[in-house]
Amino acid sequence: MLSDVKVFKNVCPRNCYNTCAMLSYVVDGKLIKVEGDPSHGYCQGRLCGKGYAYTRYVYSPKRLRYPLKQYPRGSGNWVRITWEEAFNLISAKLLELNHRYGSNRSLAYNKCSGNVGILHYATEGMFNSFGSHTKLRGNPCMSAGMDAVEYSSGEGRSPDPEAMTNSKLIVIWGANPAWTAVHQLNFINQARDKGAVLVVIDPVYTATAATADHYIQVRPGTDGLLALGIAKVLVEEGRYDSSFVKEHVVGWESFYKYLQEKVSLEEVQRLTGVAENVLQLLADLYSQNDPATNWCGYGLQRHQNGGQNVRAIYTLSALTGNVGKIGGDFYYFHPSTDFFPMNLLNLQGPDDGQVSRALDINNYPSQALSLVDPPMKFLWIAARNPLSQDQEVQDWTRLLKELEMVVTVDLFMTKTAEASDIVLPATSHFEDFDINVSYWHHWLALNQKAIEPYYEAKSDLEIAKELTRRLNELQPGFSNFPSERTAEEWIESEFTSEILRLYGLSSWRDLEEVPAKLQFGNNPWLDLNFKTNTGKFEIFSKNAKDDKLPALPRFWAESSDLSFPLRMLTPQNITSIHSQNWALEWIGSDKRGNVVTLNPQDAVQRKVEDGDLVRIYNAQGSVTRKARLNPEVLQGMVIIYQGGKEPVNSLLSGLSADMGKKHSGSEGAALYNAFVEVEKIVRSQI
Amino acid sequence: MTEQMGFLFNAERCVGCKSCEMACKNENSTPANVNWRRVSSLSTGNNLSISCNHCESPECFRVCPQRAYVKRRDGIVMININRCDGCMTCVSACPYKAPQFDLEKQKASKCTFCLPRREVGLLPACVSACHTGALSVINTDQPPKNTVPTIEGFPDIRLTKPSIRFRPVKEKLRYWVSSKE
Ligand code: SF4
Ligand code: SF4
Ligand code: SF4
Repeated sequence: MLSDVKVFKNVCPRNCYNTCAMLSYVVDGKLIKVEGDPSHGYCQGRLCGKGYAYTRYVYSPKRLRYPLKQYPRGSGNWVRITWEEAFNLISAKLLELNHRYGSNRSLAYNKCSGNVGILHYATEGMFNSFGSHTKLRGNPCMSAGMDAVEYSSGEGRSPDPEAMTNSKLIVIWGANPAWTAVHQLNFINQARDKGAVLVVIDPVYTATAATADHYIQVRPGTDGLLALGIAKVLVEEGRYDSSFVKEHVVGWESFYKYLQEKVSLEEVQRLTGVAENVLQLLADLYSQNDPATNWCGYGLQRHQNGGQNVRAIYTLSALTGNVGKIGGDFYYFHPSTDFFPMNLLNLQGPDDGQVSRALDINNYPSQALSLVDPPMKFLWIAARNPLSQDQEVQDWTRLLKELEMVVTVDLFMTKTAEASDIVLPATSHFEDFDINVSYWHHWLALNQKAIEPYYEAKSDLEIAKELTRRLNELQPGFSNFPSERTAEEWIESEFTSEILRLYGLSSWRDLEEVPAKLQFGNNPWLDLNFKTNTGKFEIFSKNAKDDKLPALPRFWAESSDLSFPLRMLTPQNITSIHSQNWALEWIGSDKRGNVVTLNPQDAVQRKVEDGDLVRIYNAQGSVTRKARLNPEVLQGMVIIYQGGKEPVNSLLSGLSADMGKKHSGSEGAALYNAFVEVEKIVRSQI
Repeated sequence: MTEQMGFLFNAERCVGCKSCEMACKNENSTPANVNWRRVSSLSTGNNLSISCNHCESPECFRVCPQRAYVKRRDGIVMININRCDGCMTCVSACPYKAPQFDLEKQKASKCTFCLPRREVGLLPACVSACHTGALSVINTDQPPKNTVPTIEGFPDIRLTKPSIRFRPVKEKLRYWVSSKE
């Protein structure tokens, strides 16, 4: 029996910190179970709860099996079509639009992080191969914070998270690893076993906060001010690392002056909600524990002042002399793909004498609707579900109505797929080759083809190959996509001698045995040679000033909305990654999924009781949830988790963060600057 | 020396991530409504991850009219599926909801302490999956130091003498925002 079991290497390609290497057990061509790959030094043979449920993803009864077409769009009148019909329909439209406008600029894609494997950039590569077109620009996840890091140290690099085992103090600012980066707890706990103190600072009392030695609640969007408050206490009491500041920091005098003149501890306490003795406690912890790590999550930069929040916390790491220190330092995001050639993403298309244009991911539909010469007519969506996740839902709905053709590639009939003309079934990561790196740990792993594609599913790469081949048959030279190149050849092409050196490999085939770890730069600032213009850590950033931002990490209060007094936070649920929720079948009825949690005092004012059905609304839209009262939730704040049947994105504000342009081409999304009102639904309204 | 295999649960470390619960389903291919291991949050605010406790006085064994339960020399309590006729007596008798009723098969099933893994020298799937070291395997006849027989929120242990020990939760410091700005 056991001899019939074949074991393959796979990597979880979700938009997640852990990027786990897994072993897939296959019997008679069927995936029967998954395990963590014990040879992966970060994941160490463990997966998260969602990862262990992957057989539910592959064999979900809801998975799409065949290409589908509906007419009219949104009617639900789906008919099964062959791939050939699908390619013919799409090709005919692409060629017609090409002839109508004399270019391919009316063609657009919207593709992001549904699968972050390197070969999944085949979608971008396919559009490049058409010549000029309409691109997607920006990043809704982390770009504001990434710019903040770049202004300070010149480059956005995060140290090896395994080094947290050496910390004496770990301060997690607004991240919830218990639900979103569970493997990190292994390293944090190793430090705790040696006496390290764990502090969680978060507006939400998360599962991670519950295990911390100290949990400190802070008002949303004021984390940066809290960091400045701690800095002020440390500086006033002379408890900062003056030699580090002297040698390696630019802008100390102006920052000192700013702290002296503009930061009042009274105001810090009033705005952050953190009491004086707690501020003092934090200052004590930072000054008494060496090394001290700051881990900055992504939520606190999803604010209008998000970049500044991150700069202030990073400054605290510098002030305490922790930057560049093993077991200290500042953790945010590690852009591992930056090392790779990314040949698909960067595929050089033919020169058609015109230039591509790009739409900002955070205001995609409104910008798309305003395009002229030519207007946008065709949209290809892959690895995305904007109708569940994006801001500007009303504009999205309008855009999807107005386009001439919408194609969505997905494994499931998502809200977005439902609004498309053609839906193409995508493979899971068990069904094709890929390579994956993480934006957190420093490992690289190979994803093998463990099973045949589910029914007629195809990968983004396979689709690009076949569609471009068809297009070239119909109009020779339409695309220069190398449609003969196999997945393995694309992988091979990523492994330049530099990449092999960086990962200590002789060939990418070595990855068939064991995953590889980055051999260099695991602690980017060990030598304290910062990549800024001055070569120092810039508390005062001239680049920021040139970009019309404050040169110093200053705090400024965000706008609020008096007619909608409750701030809404929309974090990740334990059951899902954004709207991807295959694990629900096993994790069970998701009680949090259809709930809004609010403070009992806010509830009383609105005559809402626990369990009541309520409407949550603002100028953007309205959703229905069951009310849960919880005194741990800050007054003036509500929590709704992402995804589900009636996703909460319809209430998002569409506001931008202060930074993001530098790294990703457009500002980050201020997803947490969303304000709502809650009212009880009385029976007559139902 | 006697042997009674059991679990040690470190309530201080468990974060309720459900990796253990899902790893059990993945390992044992249990249907959606059958969870041999379950993670829940207690009214105390702590998490609890429990499976069958392979009790010293297994109530399941005592009540089963088909004598489907056996207690092995290593203390592991097993159910013989072939004998089970689906009467659900054990399901209601066990204080820990360990036997779970499989609607499809119309039979009870429960944690096997991952016997097939044990036979090849592997730890139970749930223990291997735990990220925080909250779950481990012990011989409860020789309970490790600084462990206690129960924690607040765990069902009464007097009836069945479950083979589980706990590390208690330490006091933690919390600082809430007290008033509205
Ligand atoms: S936990 Fe329940 S099923 Fe398991 S041995 Fe004890 S009484 Fe029996
Ligand atoms: S020992 Fe095995 S069967 Fe029992 S709960 Fe753990 S994983 Fe499940
Ligand atoms: S895997 Fe460990 S930490 Fe996670 S829920 Fe289970 S026992 Fe708790």
